[in-house]
Amino acid sequence: MKGAQFLVKALEHEGVEFIFGYPGGAIMPVYDALLDSRIKHILVRHEQAAALAADGYARATGKVGVCMATSGPGATNLVTGIANAYMDSIPVVAITGQVATPLMGTDAFQEVDIFGITLPVVKHSFLVDEAKDLPRVVHEAFRIAKSGRPGPVLIDLPKDIGNAEADFQIYGNEAEPSSTEPDREAIARAARLIGEAHRPVIYAGGGIGMAEAVNEFRAFVEATRIPVISTLKGIGAIPTNHPLFLGMMGMHGTKASNHAVQACDLLICIGARFDDRATGRLAGFATGARVIHMDADASEVGKLRSADAPIIGDLKKTLRALTTNSLDGDAWRHQCLSWKQAHAWDYNAPAPGIYAPWFLKRLAQRSPENVIVACDVGQHQMWVAQHFDFARPEQHLSSGGLGTMGFGLPAAIGAQLAYPNATVINVSGDGSMMMNLQELATLRRYDLPVKIVLFDNRALGMVRQWQELFHSERYSEVDLSDNPDFSRVAESMGIPAFRVESKEHIEDAIDNLLATRGPVMAHVVIDQMANVWPIVGPGKTNSEMLDRVAS
Amino acid sequence: MSTLTLQLRVKNEEGALLRVLSMTRRRRFDLLSVNADSSADGRFMDVRMTVKAERSAPAFVRQIEKLEDVTQVEVLDSAGESSAHAAG
Repeated sequence: MKGAQFLVKALEHEGVEFIFGYPGGAIMPVYDALLDSRIKHILVRHEQAAALAADGYARATGKVGVCMATSGPGATNLVTGIANAYMDSIPVVAITGQVATPLMGTDAFQEVDIFGITLPVVKHSFLVDEAKDLPRVVHEAFRIAKSGRPGPVLIDLPKDIGNAEADFQIYGNEAEPSSTEPDREAIARAARLIGEAHRPVIYAGGGIGMAEAVNEFRAFVEATRIPVISTLKGIGAIPTNHPLFLGMMGMHGTKASNHAVQACDLLICIGARFDDRATGRLAGFATGARVIHMDADASEVGKLRSADAPIIGDLKKTLRALTTNSLDGDAWRHQCLSWKQAHAWDYNAPAPGIYAPWFLKRLAQRSPENVIVACDVGQHQMWVAQHFDFARPEQHLSSGGLGTMGFGLPAAIGAQLAYPNATVINVSGDGSMMMNLQELATLRRYDLPVKIVLFDNRALGMVRQWQELFHSERYSEVDLSDNPDFSRVAESMGIPAFRVESKEHIEDAIDNLLATRGPVMAHVVIDQMANVWPIVGPGKTNSEMLDRVAS
Repeated sequence: MSTLTLQLRVKNEEGALLRVLSMTRRRRFDLLSVNADSSADGRFMDVRMTVKAERSAPAFVRQIEKLEDVTQVEVLDSAGESSAHAAG
């Protein structure tokens, strides 16, 4: 058996259903072997989309996503997608072809040191320079990608290793990822802090969903009745319509969540990492609070904020072990809920055009329960986080750490393939859509019924907003008024599209979007000057939120 | 500004030393010295490195420990005493 044939067999053994990729010279042996495999290869139109689609598949399913590219430019095109998975701890295995080992180090055609290039953005990586190592490498790559804090793993496969004949055997059985037991003393200390707290807040992060600890998390919330705020990735850890959920925190968080976190005396951080977008100016973040920090990754605990009760380990086990009584703090709960009520979203938009938050609110209300929303990056991403409703974290696919414009459409492709009967919506902007526009052809090729909502403000809206608010309205390279006609572009790629320009047509547009059987694009024209509110400005604390001032 | 000396045992795998040094640079620790020797059986490298930074040393140690190829980390104090950590 050839190395490439074994690789494909090993991927089948790992349970791989889809490979997102693009062929080329050095990876040809693997593409040849794929012809005889039950694994479905999804041909994207740019390798970056392969990595992002694998990421979206992994986020939606919790399984390892797999992407593949050839050496040189194919491999470098994967890098943004690999970094995206790294920043958000997504289990992805990226397989790259490499020039044959005798040519390595000679600057051969399409040779690039992808192992070296990706070192800072992978959880681990392998260069297979001996055929005998291939079985162990594949097994280890999947184990590492999904164990502990997940992340991307690279396998760089030289062409001669792919063509090498050997008696390959599957390496061991698929091992369950090992998980760390939480320390009993730390659990007891945390329980004591909760018992002593008068104004506790739960700060929920993406780690909850990643650890498949949603049920345990919800049981903890219901047992303690402590108000919950979340990071962008933590959205859905508790249903967004739950009475104790105060909303997303941080730069574009709700006023209720930011008021609560700043006033709390105990911050219970679960699977989050004190990211700057969530905390605002760190020195002014929750200054009166003691901290319980639960995480699978020891290196995140104490990295930015020291913890009074650090608990390293599997969140499922930690949350099961942390049994406490209901918060004896009706006054605090009442205060949090008063903030929530007082600062509820106002959908009365003064501008005559379509108000994107209201469009999203209506879309959320009318979408089926199993809806999955894959966002791009920018204003629309924050509006989704603020105004869409999610019952589970895996319904909300958003590029949090890297903030990758162009993430949404490939991620939607990955999610739709995983769940062909689910309603998958890609919410995008005119800037982001142009980053991976070519993937409309992939939608058509596989007839994936992704619903695209493209908010078009003819600008790089978030950058424009910052230039307006923090750069004295000095607008620099944010005008996109020369955008193509997106409806015609979509139609030219076989995707039905329609344009929506007035608020009176919102309901019809949603009807059309949800009733169309295949892929469809709603090109929604919005006000160029619309901003995301509230906003915590650069260098400010979460107490210093600016609210609607100009629109 | 503090200095920190670490004694590491690292698997002798592709790019393992580079990974340690890359992590050091990326986390904004300055490398003052580094010495790496292959173990007798060639399976490991013993790395001694001294770094300095204003950032949290324990957090840096945990980031080094997390690297898949790092099997053991000892933090050496000024008296040459060590505390061993399992890693990898």
